[in-house]
Amino acid sequence: MTLDTLFQLCTTAAMVGWLVLLASPVAPTLADRVSGLIIPALLAIFYAGLVMAFWTRAQGGFDSLPNVMRLFTKPEIVLAGWIHYLAFDLFVGAWVVRTARDEQIPFILVVPCLLLTFLFGPAGYLAFACLRAARARITLASSPFAAALDRKE
Amino acid sequence: MTVDVLGIRQRSASPSFVGELFRREPLYAGAALCLTALIAPTLVAIALDERTLLGVNVWLKPLRFEIALTVYLATLAWFAGWLPERVVGTRWCRTYAACVVAAIAAEMIWIGGAATLGTASHFNEGSLMMAWTYRLMGGLAVLLTSSALVYGILILRHRNSLLEPAFRLSVGLGLVLTFFLTVAVAGYMVNNGGHFVGSQSTVAPGAPFMGWARDRGDLRVAHFFATHAMHFIPAFGFVVSLVLSAAVARRAVIVSSAVFAAFVAYTFGEAVMGRPFFAVSP
Repeated sequence: MTLDTLFQLCTTAAMVGWLVLLASPVAPTLADRVSGLIIPALLAIFYAGLVMAFWTRAQGGFDSLPNVMRLFTKPEIVLAGWIHYLAFDLFVGAWVVRTARDEQIPFILVVPCLLLTFLFGPAGYLAFACLRAARARITLASSPFAAALDRKE
Repeated sequence: MTVDVLGIRQRSASPSFVGELFRREPLYAGAALCLTALIAPTLVAIALDERTLLGVNVWLKPLRFEIALTVYLATLAWFAGWLPERVVGTRWCRTYAACVVAAIAAEMIWIGGAATLGTASHFNEGSLMMAWTYRLMGGLAVLLTSSALVYGILILRHRNSLLEPAFRLSVGLGLVLTFFLTVAVAGYMVNNGGHFVGSQSTVAPGAPFMGWARDRGDLRVAHFFATHAMHFIPAFGFVVSLVLSAAVARRAVIVSSAVFAAFVAYTFGEAVMGRPFFAVSP
């Protein structure tokens, strides 16, 4: 197996995962299983294999920016890093979809968060966290419990 | 009385093989499942890593140990259903099982770790740390193999077992032989400083997957059969206890155990004399 083959394979697998997430309103269980478990696990297997095979031959480390940059001079380690992005971004995307479903957040609001997570991982997570926080405040403000509190004051 | 190989009498809500393993010995079954999971990334590493050791991919050895230890733990988990009820779940039993699983985890980390470094795990005298780790792991290997001995003795002494006596004898003898034959062969291999007899470097490719040498003695042949006494002898015992009368089956099990031990001794002697295993020699 060449690195290019592995790159193509993993990128395609991740794309499939994201498409399944977009279709999650019609197939929620499938999305949870495929995008939240099977594809991230598959990517994790490839990641683990790469790290097992090449980590000890890489230069650099985690302790400084120049060291991290040296780590990413080795193609195998860059590919491992890329698969790391793919796996964790998709996993977070699936978590966003699942959490939104549990909290009855409309899917139309979730889509921009998914798009952000797909392109810029943590930014999408941040957007969804803000969305959740805002909805929690709105729900609290409009609940009968809150209204009762207001009447007392 | 019939053979209870499928555990029908003790069967509970989980009808699957894996479910039954988890019911009989959850710790061994869980550890076996984790070892199986390691096979997938190891196959990826084999496909990508170009480094070799003694002429074969560095990840082939971790793969063999993952498979072998999965089979070992799954078999013990199955046999755990035939242990006397009074020992199952006792504190010493749980502690001992935890020690065995910890020893297996340590062996896998050592063997996998050496593979990531592209270096040898067993027989590695290259540095002080590797040499001492090798010695420690030898001790842990005896500990993990002792589980076969403990199970064997407990099953042999379990007089009111529901198992057919001849089959119970074959399971017990197979387990006890696994321990003694394995420790004897492996002990010799340690003193030999490698699994080949003759030159330690390889010239001809070995047998498919097993890697046994075709052009010299290879002590791994005897190690393999020694360790699988716990499979071959009970398999024989299972068949004879179905087709022969109890007394004859009992004698057949005893004779077959002796024959199997002699066969292991033969493969061992063959390797010691520097000859390849007959079945795979060209």
